[in-house]
Amino acid sequence: MSDPVSIGDATSAEKASAHENWGSRIGLILAMAGNAVGLGNFLRFPRQAAVNGGGSFMITYFVALLLLGIPLMWIEWGLGRHGGHYRKGHIPGMFAAVWRHPLAKYLGVLGMVIPFLVLVYYTYISSWTMAFSFYSLFKDYWGRETQELMISYLQSFQGFGAERVHHPITPFVFFTITLAINVWVVSRGISGGIERLAKVGMPTLFLFAIVLAVAVMLQEPVPGGGSPLEGLEFIYRPDLSGLTDASVWLASAGQIFFTLSVGMGTLQAYASYLSKRDDIALNGVATAATNETAEVVLAGTIAIPAAVTFFGVSGAMAIAQSGSFNLGFATMPVVFQQMPLGNVLGFMWFALLFFAGITSAVAMFTPVSAFFREEFGLRRETVAWGIGAVAFLMGLAHIAWLKYGFLDEWDYWAGTFGLVAFAVVEVILFVWVFRPENMWRELHEGADIRIPKIFKFIMTFVTPAYLLFILVWWGVTDALPILRMEKAAGGGQLTPEMEPYVLLSRGFILFFFLVALILIRVAWKRNGYDDRKGFPVVDVSGQQGGTR
Amino acid sequence: MSAGAVLFMLMSWTLVLGLAFWSFARVLRKRRHFDPDGIGPEAPPEPGAAEGVLPPHEY
Repeated sequence: MSDPVSIGDATSAEKASAHENWGSRIGLILAMAGNAVGLGNFLRFPRQAAVNGGGSFMITYFVALLLLGIPLMWIEWGLGRHGGHYRKGHIPGMFAAVWRHPLAKYLGVLGMVIPFLVLVYYTYISSWTMAFSFYSLFKDYWGRETQELMISYLQSFQGFGAERVHHPITPFVFFTITLAINVWVVSRGISGGIERLAKVGMPTLFLFAIVLAVAVMLQEPVPGGGSPLEGLEFIYRPDLSGLTDASVWLASAGQIFFTLSVGMGTLQAYASYLSKRDDIALNGVATAATNETAEVVLAGTIAIPAAVTFFGVSGAMAIAQSGSFNLGFATMPVVFQQMPLGNVLGFMWFALLFFAGITSAVAMFTPVSAFFREEFGLRRETVAWGIGAVAFLMGLAHIAWLKYGFLDEWDYWAGTFGLVAFAVVEVILFVWVFRPENMWRELHEGADIRIPKIFKFIMTFVTPAYLLFILVWWGVTDALPILRMEKAAGGGQLTPEMEPYVLLSRGFILFFFLVALILIRVAWKRNGYDDRKGFPVVDVSGQQGGTR
Repeated sequence: MSAGAVLFMLMSWTLVLGLAFWSFARVLRKRRHFDPDGIGPEAPPEPGAAEGVLPPHEY
């Protein structure tokens, strides 16, 4: 135990977040699940399952869920709630709370910059779903009954391609509306904004997904197509040859990683608004189970079975290999045009994607927002609109330079490689530096279930090894060639025309890291934190206590 | 749809839905145990079912 320390202005800063908390346990789980259930559940999972051997993928997927996904979920809930005990809802503070070393807070920069970078382009992609939900409802793309025509339509919306269907300002308008909704929800606070959104958004998402899954399963086969059951066969076919293929194991581990939204800083930020009396062990399992239900049961029953029904198995395989966005934004609209009440089903498809996107995007605000509120005493609304303004400016760059690979760079370095790097750091700090015994006790404080002891071994050795393997493999096969500009971050070759934009994109990433590092230093100096002594305990009602 | 694919699908769905039903059944049974503001809900917070099985923090 160490002595209490002065935290200077942090007392007033802490008052800014003194009454932030979750209103109900179900609301918390729905918000956590809303964070986890994203576009990847409905677009990425079915494609990954289809192109990685079906049955082989599912076996490796569940192994990764048990050895990587659920353990990481618990680790992030535990790290977050532990940080919350010191009124730290941001990753630099959480890292400093488990490792009393000057370096800890700077490692936490990953958990500030990554969610912000992902927030910007994720909001932009979410805005596509909002636009397409309206285009579906009002049959704007009706008559475009081939994939090529729909891809052309999508590119027109994105502002490039040979065909011009949309006004050039259209993507900017939808992005602005989507971002404004995100900011408004965040400005309403944890209980009044994020939790309320989850309570509306998640049931709606599940309802729409169930309706779509039933509609696809009841669809009659069309000439040249297959049956919906053949679509399920396509995903679940018992091809076990892939079990000896390392790429299948990596693909399933990557999917588990992305689908649970781990390595982002968002689960930790949400968990920081819990007290030591609140369960995290059972809540973590419930969150993972909700996400998996959306992914395995519902997402697996919609896109690929629909594609097989209308394009046959070989056609669906070609679609799956062409990418997740083509499946979601080109194939599905073609399918809906041939279904009864297709415009309504199309609206539901894109609306569920929108809800999946926005419930994840608001979570990405939270760690950054917590930093400014807790360390600088800024008002919630000021912080939300301030972060929104910066995100808006960067979003404009993404929209304008999408075709030059600007977004792909951020998606790779922040939304892919960065997530694994962050997870490696947090596991090392929370499990090894904080010590496995302390981690294990933290997870069991207030717990409604006893986590099987085997998971202590898994979290200590297996999960870090799994993560390191993924990091090294991706580092060698993807990160180095992309860094050396031998291939494009979005796949394919990097053209000379793209190079300046790729460099500019990387420059912005470095800029935000630099700014965040400076802000962390300023915050620590301003609040008089002593890295070696740790933070004072602040109980959840905002009163300062001793240190621990 | 082949028998093998049906088996894989049923196993996957059973695992996922089983985990969901089990966890939510327990969550709903323990609803009073939620006290994020530390002041306490209308009913006093109950200790977690697994609380007390480990010694308190000593770090």
